[in-house]
Amino acid sequence: VRNILPAQGVETPRIRLRQEHLNNVHCSMDIFRCTLTKIPETNSILQKSRLPLGVLIHPFKDLTQLPVIQCQTIVRCRSCRTYINPFVYFVDQRRWKCNLCFRVNDLPDEFQYDPMSNSYGDPTRRPEIKNATIEFIAPAEYMLRPPQPPVYLYLLDVSHVAVETGYLKLFCDVLLEELEKIPGDSRTQIGFITFASSVQFYNLAENLNQPHQLVVSDIEDIFLPCPNDLLVNLNESKRLVIELLEQLPLRFNNTADCNSALGAALQAAYKMVSPTGGRITVFQASLPNIGPGALKPREDPNQRAAKDVPNLNAATDFYKKFALDCSGQQVAVDLFLLGGQYMDIASLSCASKFSGGCMYHFPSFHYVHNLPQVERLEHSLRRYLTRKIGFESVMRIRCTHGLSIHTFHGNFFVRSTDLLSLPNINPDAGFGLQVSIDENLSEVQNICFQAALLYTSSKGERRIRVHTMCLPIASTVADVIQSADQQCIVGLLAKMAVDRSLHSSISDARDAIVNVCVDVLSAYKATLSSATSGLYAPSNLRLLPLYLAALLKSVAFRTGQSTRLDDRVFAMNQLKVLPLSQLILSVYPDMYAIHNLHDQVNQRNSACHQGEMVIPQPPRLHLSAEMVDSSGAYLLDTGDVIYLYVGRNVHPAFIENVLGSSNFQSLPEQMFELPELETAESERLRNFLIHLQNQRPYPAVLQLIREDSQIRHLFSSHLVDGRTESSLSYYEFLQHLKNQIK
Amino acid sequence: MATFQEYIQQNEDRDGVRFSWNVWPSSRLEATRLVVNLACLYTPLKEKPDLPAITYDPVMCTRGNCKAILNPLCQVDYRGKLWLCNFCFQRNPFPPQYAGISEVNTPAELHPQFSTIEYTLTRSQTLPPIFLLVVDTCVDEDELMTLKESLQMSLSLLPPNALIGLITFGKMVQVHELGCEGIAKSYVFRGTKDFSAKQVQDMLGLGKGGGGGGGGNMPPGQMGQPGMPGMPGQPGPGMPPGSVGPMGGPMGARGPGGQSVLPPSRFLQPVHKCDMYLTDLLGELQRDPWPVPQGKRPLRSTGSALSIAVGLLECTFPNTGARIMLFAGGACSQGPGMVLNDDLKQPIRSHHDIDKDNAKFMKKAMKHYEALASRACTNGHAIDIYACALDQTGLLEMKSCCNTTGGHLVMGDSFGSSLFKQTFQRVFAKDARNEYKMAFNALMEVKTSRELKVCGAIGPCISMNVKGPNVSETELGIGGTSQWKFCALGTNTTPAVFFEVVNQHGAPIPQGGRGHIQFITQYQHSSGQKRVRVTTIARNWADAVTNLPNITAGFDQEAAAVLMARLAAFRADSDEGPDVLRWLDRMLIRLCQKFGGYTKDDPNSFNIAENFSLYPQFMFHLRRSQFLQVFNNSPDETTFYRHMLNREDLTQALIMVQPILYSYSFHGPPEPVLLDSSSIQPDRILLMDTFFQIVIYHGETIAQWRAAGYQNLPEYENFKQLLQAPVDDAQDILQSRFPMPRYIDTEHGGSQARFLLSKVNPSQTHNNMFTYGGSAPTHSDGGAPVLTDDVSLQVFMEHLKKLAVSSTA
Ligand SMILES: [Zn+2]
Ligand SMILES: [Zn+2]
Repeated sequence: VRNILPAQGVETPRIRLRQEHLNNVHCSMDIFRCTLTKIPETNSILQKSRLPLGVLIHPFKDLTQLPVIQCQTIVRCRSCRTYINPFVYFVDQRRWKCNLCFRVNDLPDEFQYDPMSNSYGDPTRRPEIKNATIEFIAPAEYMLRPPQPPVYLYLLDVSHVAVETGYLKLFCDVLLEELEKIPGDSRTQIGFITFASSVQFYNLAENLNQPHQLVVSDIEDIFLPCPNDLLVNLNESKRLVIELLEQLPLRFNNTADCNSALGAALQAAYKMVSPTGGRITVFQASLPNIGPGALKPREDPNQRAAKDVPNLNAATDFYKKFALDCSGQQVAVDLFLLGGQYMDIASLSCASKFSGGCMYHFPSFHYVHNLPQVERLEHSLRRYLTRKIGFESVMRIRCTHGLSIHTFHGNFFVRSTDLLSLPNINPDAGFGLQVSIDENLSEVQNICFQAALLYTSSKGERRIRVHTMCLPIASTVADVIQSADQQCIVGLLAKMAVDRSLHSSISDARDAIVNVCVDVLSAYKATLSSATSGLYAPSNLRLLPLYLAALLKSVAFRTGQSTRLDDRVFAMNQLKVLPLSQLILSVYPDMYAIHNLHDQVNQRNSACHQGEMVIPQPPRLHLSAEMVDSSGAYLLDTGDVIYLYVGRNVHPAFIENVLGSSNFQSLPEQMFELPELETAESERLRNFLIHLQNQRPYPAVLQLIREDSQIRHLFSSHLVDGRTESSLSYYEFLQHLKNQIK
Repeated sequence: MATFQEYIQQNEDRDGVRFSWNVWPSSRLEATRLVVNLACLYTPLKEKPDLPAITYDPVMCTRGNCKAILNPLCQVDYRGKLWLCNFCFQRNPFPPQYAGISEVNTPAELHPQFSTIEYTLTRSQTLPPIFLLVVDTCVDEDELMTLKESLQMSLSLLPPNALIGLITFGKMVQVHELGCEGIAKSYVFRGTKDFSAKQVQDMLGLGKGGGGGGGGNMPPGQMGQPGMPGMPGQPGPGMPPGSVGPMGGPMGARGPGGQSVLPPSRFLQPVHKCDMYLTDLLGELQRDPWPVPQGKRPLRSTGSALSIAVGLLECTFPNTGARIMLFAGGACSQGPGMVLNDDLKQPIRSHHDIDKDNAKFMKKAMKHYEALASRACTNGHAIDIYACALDQTGLLEMKSCCNTTGGHLVMGDSFGSSLFKQTFQRVFAKDARNEYKMAFNALMEVKTSRELKVCGAIGPCISMNVKGPNVSETELGIGGTSQWKFCALGTNTTPAVFFEVVNQHGAPIPQGGRGHIQFITQYQHSSGQKRVRVTTIARNWADAVTNLPNITAGFDQEAAAVLMARLAAFRADSDEGPDVLRWLDRMLIRLCQKFGGYTKDDPNSFNIAENFSLYPQFMFHLRRSQFLQVFNNSPDETTFYRHMLNREDLTQALIMVQPILYSYSFHGPPEPVLLDSSSIQPDRILLMDTFFQIVIYHGETIAQWRAAGYQNLPEYENFKQLLQAPVDDAQDILQSRFPMPRYIDTEHGGSQARFLLSKVNPSQTHNNMFTYGGSAPTHSDGGAPVLTDDVSLQVFMEHLKKLAVSSTA
């Protein structure tokens, strides 16, 4: 039980339909994933399995291959509006049966035409039938109004505290560098608001000699100082935008203004963007303390290790109401939170949560004193500015008759039972939903989930991305348990635990996590024919206790260890929105020993080649102190930061050939890049890193940590298998489970 | 001995003062029987090129409640080094610096020719003047363009050290920060709100720690009594030649001229530092960008903008000379001070609406501007209004802003008109010494002999509410005080000051037989210096019972007419028009009764002394003038006319009351002619100066010749010259007057001939043409009848005589 981690990573379970030919067209598990790869026939079987039923979806994930089609009519079920998909049944050449509601529909003549092969014939040659993920360019009837232009509005905190962090210069520099790469077209609009005691607007009309800053101090009754030219066409006013970005950091260099009127700035931003819709990006580094939406410090720093954690919920409904207003006008709010002090993320986060926005947190950001965060911000910001974006979007998730969706997780507003309002959609946003079985499904062979994301591209096209997932039915508890997807379960449980924490308490949520583990293993035990002692888990759920033990120690749910409220609340938010692979990394990072990388072929996986590059495949290690030797060096991949931990007794050759220093003592305190040394060791490690980086949407920050470093805890706090004063070791956790299981 | 005519002229030249009576009745009762009040028109800053520059402080009477300033009318005991105060008879020792004084070595202030003298208080802080431009952007593109050009041009006219600021307004109000690098910056306020000075200060970040600069930490300015504890400096260049002047005393204890630098404000910067920036900023200034729906007016926040301007100066430069210069292209249509709403269907109020109590925004708006004016006055800040629009802009409601602060009121049709452009340039006119003709933050105090009290003043000023023993219970004009503040003062600004004789009947004629008045005007010179102008005058007392002819001979009918006009206009601002006219008539009749010679009930026997003879005519024209007859004018025009009457000197004011008419012909040089319809002749060109308009009127024949183009033929060179002569003369007036008059070139039958016809005495109307037939000789030479039902001067005089001699009246 101690070394259960698969060296080459956890395998994603596969969906196996009885119709073999359909198993080639499944939707990517990275996009659409169910906690169970087989759906219980009845609710009672599901209940007996004690497993949660739910779906995780990453609908706008960057894809290297995406079939895009443009057609006169998009074929949909006339009854339930499901898009035609690979899993429908063709009654004959002219009719198809909906796999969600079972209505038989006529096929339009056009559908006989295969745009790929440019010929008429078999409808199954159509891309809609050959791909479980497909995108349509929507015809006019999908538009209530002409597609909106890309609109980007930046709200920048210029209070003393914020300016002091130096973020403003970084922001301006990065935006200047990426200005050409912002998704958009000739209609792209951009605007800026800065705020402290007052709200400052920028008139960037192209005929001006220089940007004009317009200060509005009446924050209790905010208004727009002029009717236009605050949001400007990026191409036409580029000269002024560039000038503004060059000048802004200087303008606020010596500010003594200690206030932050975020609420007023948001209200102003809303007035600017609401006529078109668009994206509001907020950089906030202090607690908004004046005007509408002003907040008060709620955190007692002495209680950071307490069992009970109050103030997880918003202090005011201001930000939620604001976000709902935004949502109604196709505006999303994204937050970059840089506070060193408490800034009440619990309240602020509502702004993005309900508007379909996203959130970043760079605690204690400082341009000199916190270089790792500088690196993180820079990486995140580049990604943020240049990643794909969809505007005025909605996502509808349908499922086969007999199932129903009852709870959604993520950042959105639920407009109707199955319709999520997502003013913006970004490729890094994940969602979850819980499903219940309302009817006996024994009549059907498969069930389906279909997610349709309707959005306006940055080029002004209305598009629909459709994902369809098809799952077989299971009729026994054992079958259900053995079909369980442990990572997906952890992903869904984490989201549910966040909800529990907010609605009840963290201790409730922690109990619930433990109980799931106990219940599932008890249920499994019940399926075993012979009575056995000891702790047993099916191989597909072997890691569940490990992950859940780690989840209990995560920033979101840990107790007894000093945790800043904002860090915790942010971590909870992340659990709600991270796509599954990143969520798992954040809960149980991948650790590799790298002091002795080999090129040779590994037992299970054949050597991994990418082009001419040979990628070493070191085994994943348990996150246990035993695994970390002072004569070793380790990579710890937590998602957006990869720590490079160097033991004090690591072989000097490693230090010289990989890190480019003569010995351990001369290693720099801070290092964010591997030197490009012409040694085999260096090349191997760099190749491995490139390989890791390529698996994520944007490069993680690499941070060197020496064993004797003051920031060693950044590494060691992730060794969650071990015990701490306030938490059980993984082994102790298993003992605890064993005692609980009847 | 000089005639009274000469005496009056001398006194005006020397002291800038014109009294209605130059010999004063020695008792209260007799004074009231003179009908016309004892009063004067005084021009405190009258240009006097011969004034010596006195750089020491004035010497004051040591009596606590007197503090009159040493003057040529004081008796001096040279041996005892004492002087006798001519107001309270206090014996004052000269200060130590005057130890060297003797009959042959007297300081300038004791020389009779320096009854008006000016001191420069060198120890006071030197403050550059401040100009805060408040610019309406709800105007047409062309208007804004030309206004911007005028404003840019004005930067070169300002003193380089002057501080300048810019506020623009439309739907919003923008306060512009000056001298920003890289990004221009302005603060924006909603135009619908009224802001207190504290709010403006906070919102502009001028409070503590706001990094604003120019906050309220100003050293207190020199207010209150002029003259500090005496410490005259070195014998200045003002000492009479050959005199040594007061000497000794601690000299040079101090740096040069108490020069100090004002803390600059982000919003008010020295012109020399920000003129380039401001030029660019003005260049970029756009029309108000807010869309104006069909059938609506632009939302114009004049009231809010002025409020913010006042608040900004209040919190940055209290008690420092400053001008707020408002450029308005229309009426305030929203927020505090709105005079109409934005519905085009509802026109701005007329006199008729006001009479019918139908001007629903008027009272509230007036309150707003009065409150602003009062705040501006408290801080010594003047407000100018330059209103250019075809329709009214709400001057009636805003009038207190200029009238009480001493600011200019200029009214034109367009910022592109030469009327506005020339007038605006003239604001920055300089005198012969190359000094600006404007002064700031002035305080005028009036001291009187014990037999006199001060009833009030009428002029562009506000009461300081200083109630001394010489302040009368009877109020005429702005009364109840002996001090008035003029936040801005020009070289021709001329308040009227009204007095009351308090000596009781039967009491002896006061000692020395003369009454004394001293005007002390402390002000901030455009150079930034603090200066004090002192004028001390004296007039003889006479017993009106025994010596009425003496008093009668001292009557100044021109001064009296202007003083009456001031009083009448002042009353008309609050009273009903007909009441004022009846009051004027009564006063005129009483004057004629008192000073005319006649046999009771025989109108033909009526005669009156020469120095009264023009007075009834002045009153006739005053009755007909735009000051009292409002219905051919808009309320804004009335406001503008009365504003000018209130501040101009005697000569100008008299032109306003009774315009001047010149006639040009082939028969000789141009000659002044009667302001009478009989002067309108076919072969004459008339030039009429009403102060507000210069009208050139071509008689019927002249007009025909001109239309035929005779002036272009070489053989009619003399006709060309005749046409040109009045044009040249008109140019002379147009070049010098402030504000520049409207120039009208018209002719017989021309539509603009009405400007002339409405002013001339209708001696020949269609009414009396039939009444008198052709019997009167004046009619035979073809005078033009005037289409009016007004009575003519002749009819008016007939009535007057009848009433004056009537035993029942
Ligand atoms: Zn269907
Ligand atoms: Zn005295």
